[in-house]
Amino acid sequence: MPQKVILTIGTKKGLFVAQSSKSRGKFDLRGPFGQGIPVYASLVDTRGKKPVIYAGSCNPFFGMKVLRSNDLGKTFAETKSAPAFPKEDGRALANIWSLEPDGDADLLAGVEPASLFRSRDGGDSWEMVPGISNHEHARKWQPGAGGLCLHTILRDGEHLHLGISTGGHYLSEDGGKTFAPSNKGIGVGFAPDAYPEWGQCVHKIAGHPDVPGRLYIQNHGGFPDRPGIGVVRSDDHGHTWRSIAGGLPSDFGFPIVVHPHDPDTIYVVPLEPATRTCPGGKPAVWRSENGGGSWKKLAKGFPKEETFFTVLRDAMDIDSFKSPALYFGTTTGQLWMGKDGGEKWSCLFEALPPINNVKVAVV
Amino acid sequence: MSITFHLPTALRRYSGGLADLPVSAATVRAALLELEKSQPALYRNLCDETGALRRHLNVFVNSDHMRDRSGLDTPLSDGDVLTILAAVSGG
Repeated sequence: MPQKVILTIGTKKGLFVAQSSKSRGKFDLRGPFGQGIPVYASLVDTRGKKPVIYAGSCNPFFGMKVLRSNDLGKTFAETKSAPAFPKEDGRALANIWSLEPDGDADLLAGVEPASLFRSRDGGDSWEMVPGISNHEHARKWQPGAGGLCLHTILRDGEHLHLGISTGGHYLSEDGGKTFAPSNKGIGVGFAPDAYPEWGQCVHKIAGHPDVPGRLYIQNHGGFPDRPGIGVVRSDDHGHTWRSIAGGLPSDFGFPIVVHPHDPDTIYVVPLEPATRTCPGGKPAVWRSENGGGSWKKLAKGFPKEETFFTVLRDAMDIDSFKSPALYFGTTTGQLWMGKDGGEKWSCLFEALPPINNVKVAVV
Repeated sequence: MSITFHLPTALRRYSGGLADLPVSAATVRAALLELEKSQPALYRNLCDETGALRRHLNVFVNSDHMRDRSGLDTPLSDGDVLTILAAVSGG
């Protein structure tokens, strides 16, 4: 069967699915699914014989739902349940911020308030992962502007990395049973201590399976008195971190993405810290091809002025073709594709609802 | 007391398509707890894990908002209708 490119686009008004042939010429759009309800997390799960699409539907009236599609996003239905805290816990689920595959068939959901849940049956039932959800810091973490969210789940064998805003980077080295904060070298600009043990406003964490010990973080930067804390790298499974922000126009941003075939090539979208929009109203994605040693501006195809995009933490992804395309969505509803690893940009959709989340899979 | 929940269209998928559900309860709180036992999927749409009524839902006892009576402790009488409605909000 010919390969298809599937984009899931989580917006303020529901989930959209866009589909293209491998040429990535024209994308057909369907949706919104979960009409009118914000979506912050989606996943195209390609592990089984048939891809399954999942999305968290954050219903402000009736509570969180998990949507599931077995037909590549032509139809969706609610799973039997969504993650839920035990009644005696005292916390109530406010949002789902990340959905990731784990192992052969499990799903992990990072939620707000920051906690982790596991499903072993495709999202029909969920159990809380106590090692992080009941961590001694869990009741002390403070919400960032987006809420107290567990937004990144990244597994490398027995290492399980979690990104919490604001909690920082938490690392498990026993497969996810126990966790410890691991933020040495990750700074903050909103507390007297620039390098606390935990409490960082980590925005996104990315890695590459070919170099399992290396990780990249887009952190909450943009503090003149603490320059360079916004983009950092670890080469020891997240035990220590160092700045790689030199050469960027701003170290504030939300997403960070690694090239599917080159762990040295990474992408960020620098934003002005005050407005959280493109510096000078001139959109650009910045790429490093040496693991953050230097950066190059990629802006071919973008408007050259008067364009104030905001790209949120989960609103950028990259496909898996040999010459991959990047995709990002903006809070003003544009969906952009950057072919040839971001060398040439074109707008796929100009006026979707505000975009929270973009995921891509080749199926 | 035999009372009736009247559900909005959006919630009827969780009640087998029924708009009206009979329940036996003496207060609004007891009526919701009865739903938790008999209609757990529906209940999860009305209340969060802590048992709190979801923030953007309104419960009317006949034509009175429960907040203008005694909230969840509002006593119920035979034949009362509890109408669940989503608040006007959004943008």
